[in-house]
Amino acid sequence: MSFVASSLQRVRPSTGEDPAPTPEIEITGRRELTSDERELAGTIFAEFRADPRYHRFVLGCLNCGECTSGCPAARFYDFSPREMVQVAQNGDATTLWDAMQEKIWACCQCYSCTMRCRFGNDIGGIINVMRELSVVHGLESTRRALAPFRRTFTLLGTIGTQLAPDMIQPEFFRDWGPAATATEADWGVPLEILRKAIPVDVLQTTRAAWEVSVQTSLELFRIYEEAGVLDMLRAVDPDLVEMLVDLVEERREEFEAARERYRNELERMRGPVATFPG
Amino acid sequence: MNPILVLGGGPAGLSAAAELGTLGAPTLLVEREKFLGGNPERWRYSLLVPDLKPTAEVLGGLLRRVGEDPRIERRLSTVITKVEPASKGFRVTLQTAGAEEQRDVSAVVVATGFEHFDPHRKLEYGYGRYPDVIDFKDLEGMITDDRILRPSDGKPPRRIAWILCVGSRDVQVGNPWCCRLGCAVSIKQAVEVRKRHPEIEAYVYYIDIRTYGLWEDLYWKAMEEYGVKFIRGRVGHVTLAEGGSRLLAAGEDTLLSRPTEVPFDMIVLASGMEPGRGTTEAARLFGLKVGPEGFLAPEVSDLNPIDSGVPGVFYAGAATGPKAIVDSVTEGMGAALRAYQYARD
Amino acid sequence: MLDSGEFRALFPNRPRPPGGPGRTVADLREEMERLESEGEIIIHRIRPENRPVRVTNLVGRTKQIPTDRLWHHKSCGQCGNIPGYPSSLLWLMNATHRTYLNEPHQTSCTAWNYHGTATSNPVALAAVAARNFHRAYETDHFPLIHCGTSFGDYKEMRKLLIEDGEVRKKVRDILHRIGRELVLPEEIVHYSEWLHVMAPEIVARQTHDMRGIVAAVHEPCHYYKMVPEDAVYDERVYAGQRPAVPTGILLALGATVADYSTWYDCCGFGFRHILAEREFSRSFANERKIRPMVEEAHADVAITSDTGCVTTLDKSQWIGKTHGFSYTLPVLADVQFAALALGADPYRIVQLHWHAVSAEDLMTKMRIDWKTAKAEFREYLQRLKNGGSPELLYPAREPIERFFAINKGQVPPEPDPGPSPSSKAVPTDAKGGSP
Repeated sequence: MSFVASSLQRVRPSTGEDPAPTPEIEITGRRELTSDERELAGTIFAEFRADPRYHRFVLGCLNCGECTSGCPAARFYDFSPREMVQVAQNGDATTLWDAMQEKIWACCQCYSCTMRCRFGNDIGGIINVMRELSVVHGLESTRRALAPFRRTFTLLGTIGTQLAPDMIQPEFFRDWGPAATATEADWGVPLEILRKAIPVDVLQTTRAAWEVSVQTSLELFRIYEEAGVLDMLRAVDPDLVEMLVDLVEERREEFEAARERYRNELERMRGPVATFPG
Repeated sequence: MNPILVLGGGPAGLSAAAELGTLGAPTLLVEREKFLGGNPERWRYSLLVPDLKPTAEVLGGLLRRVGEDPRIERRLSTVITKVEPASKGFRVTLQTAGAEEQRDVSAVVVATGFEHFDPHRKLEYGYGRYPDVIDFKDLEGMITDDRILRPSDGKPPRRIAWILCVGSRDVQVGNPWCCRLGCAVSIKQAVEVRKRHPEIEAYVYYIDIRTYGLWEDLYWKAMEEYGVKFIRGRVGHVTLAEGGSRLLAAGEDTLLSRPTEVPFDMIVLASGMEPGRGTTEAARLFGLKVGPEGFLAPEVSDLNPIDSGVPGVFYAGAATGPKAIVDSVTEGMGAALRAYQYARD
Repeated sequence: MLDSGEFRALFPNRPRPPGGPGRTVADLREEMERLESEGEIIIHRIRPENRPVRVTNLVGRTKQIPTDRLWHHKSCGQCGNIPGYPSSLLWLMNATHRTYLNEPHQTSCTAWNYHGTATSNPVALAAVAARNFHRAYETDHFPLIHCGTSFGDYKEMRKLLIEDGEVRKKVRDILHRIGRELVLPEEIVHYSEWLHVMAPEIVARQTHDMRGIVAAVHEPCHYYKMVPEDAVYDERVYAGQRPAVPTGILLALGATVADYSTWYDCCGFGFRHILAEREFSRSFANERKIRPMVEEAHADVAITSDTGCVTTLDKSQWIGKTHGFSYTLPVLADVQFAALALGADPYRIVQLHWHAVSAEDLMTKMRIDWKTAKAEFREYLQRLKNGGSPELLYPAREPIERFFAINKGQVPPEPDPGPSPSSKAVPTDAKGGSP
């Protein structure tokens, strides 16, 4: 697979010689929905309107287009934040459904539109509400959009940072070039040593952005469990969640073992760890 | 009868003072600036909507009446610093060049008007940063001088854009109201520019065109007779184009649903209307009710937009909201009548 | 152009922050005070020992920037692939004698993942924010946010926790289950704001003349477009019409900051695009940012103050060759630029070897002897490879901290003022004894 910059105007047809490495956004025309899809569209529409953020984020629209004028995605995709406000206000469940298939994933989440909007709409925010619903209901297009993020989910669930140095390697990012990052080829020492040469102790690791204490990792996982994030993930990638739960169980055991090992010190400190239920 | 105080020497105040003089009432006209005529005079407006007559011709008659009437005492460069209730009317303290003087007045017409929105506050347009971004009061002066040239290099512009609703209909700057005049005045300016310089292209970026009532004629003529081009959609930001020699207006053409970027030589911002400094001060001094937008709120806004609710205080003109000169002058007449009735009884 | 006094006078005239009627709480700080007095939250206050400096935000309100006794809230992308970013910042803090904690007891804000995949929700995001706020509070160090997206997210989450009682309750319940309390910092502070207010002390230690350097600034979107009213503006920087950071420090160091037409555009990161729609990210970065920076601004270096922006702008240039873009514009964070100006080692401290675009020509222009530094760094790497121990900017964490977010004896201040601090408001456990 070659990693070559495709044409600057994404809406132009591909020349065929530069296949993109990852799923692309294709805006599909409206087709007849199956009865199951229609029912799901109705459910999503009702949940969308019932979200407490709906009335805070969508206030009205003068159709002035200032949002679109600063929108990076509008330059490359058949997408505009002004259109998304129209979709958000539209009373037809199918209109919302159609926009949620692909369009919502064109947004860059830069919030240029939100800062500009003279009506006070939070357009980047309302797109997030649509995206969350597409995750909650495990839409097929959403599974595709989220597939490249499995490694990120795993890191977040088990450690608590979103990426790791061993993830940012030239073989994964061929289009970043041979000098994308510091490598053994250039410096004669492996990644571990290059990381050790960073004068910040918690950065001297290759498997996480920084070393996170086990207690802290478990706290984040607990938040994810309690706040329903794991359920959201389950809807798009149940296997991944099962794997995460297993991995976190190992971390818990590690933590409990450490609690035994450090029992005396912890007694002496009576620190906040004493209250953590594990 | 103690004199009737008219606060503000713009169209509304001039109209009220002239009518009071005609009614035979002693009148005290107080103006903060050292000239009469209000914003049209201050910013040297050229032609006025809707009939495209020169400002001097429209306001000249009023200025003459006020200037020649011996019953009208004109106090320029003067502000009110203190107001105390009197048995009938008020005791007010006038301040002129540091000197204070107390006067008893039998009634008050508040005609303190508006201020143009300061376009520096709409950060995206670079007013004050790019010299060729001007606002429509700046352009009025240029048209009056018949020198429509780029401030940056003094060269004649080839293409000018007007951006409507700058500082109006916009919660980002805290002004959600419509200024009512921006559409008509901008279109009038585009027509004036095209009349004098047919070689200059004129584009107007709009959300809605509100040339309300009979003024619609101006909008139609701008297209039919003067070839002014209208783009439905707003410019989100202004930046530099062509190596800094021109300006780039980046917006969305909302009818085509496409982002648009057009280079211009000059960009004119239709700055909205905000309550004038004097309006806010009058509210404080006389204890007047202020609406959520900061303009004065009449006691009964539909049937009687002139009575303030404070006995003896009456409104005229843009102190109560954005208003055209014709409406301000009409209200000046009404306020003169109401104040005269109050003072006489 | 207005003079500075006139500009100063303008800012209080932006009376209402964006938002419809009744949508926003008028003054977040006042509302925080009220919530604290009702025992709903604890405010983490900026105290004199934080040595705060006052600046002005977009709506003309004073914002306090603490400069000392700080808790570093790290960034995933900075630590993961631009490690010179945090190390330059810590080095500058050492150079200016500021104290801080840089702990393993911090989670990601999770907002990159959220803006890329939406696999989270307001309660989870707010709970994560509050979890980290509480950790900073119990160590009695004020949080300093490294990442622009974390900064934007935490501004939003603090606002949400103040405005939405239901979310607040859910978050507080979750926090109790992990032994924590709902603490909100008095200010959400981005590290670039620290750098901005530290400019006088930093410039006083400058060793390299930056007057010959032309910088193009990329303003990170999440710094100033999310909850815009709380970004810092200064009438000396672009006449107060653009954020003061990171431009202010560059001007203070003597560099020329050159404008370009697409300054308002994002970098192309896109959160999901950088992984899943790469042709967008690299095309946008080259077309809309790098090209104007080079051809309009004639920049020697691109400077920005956020994680994703450094990554996208730096990593996207190589592939541009396939479409005729032959630019090699070094991309640095403002702290890296400042550290170089103060004579920090370009490899050991500023860690420039992780960047895709070489900064060697830039350093030559800055009269930095990078060749010697590079040779020494190679030797240093060999020493480490042979088992040598690494140099550190501060004493390493204790082994027990691999597991536990221990308390090292810091005592958080009592909530103040507290007419009715509920028993829950002060977590007695967190005050613990000293180890």
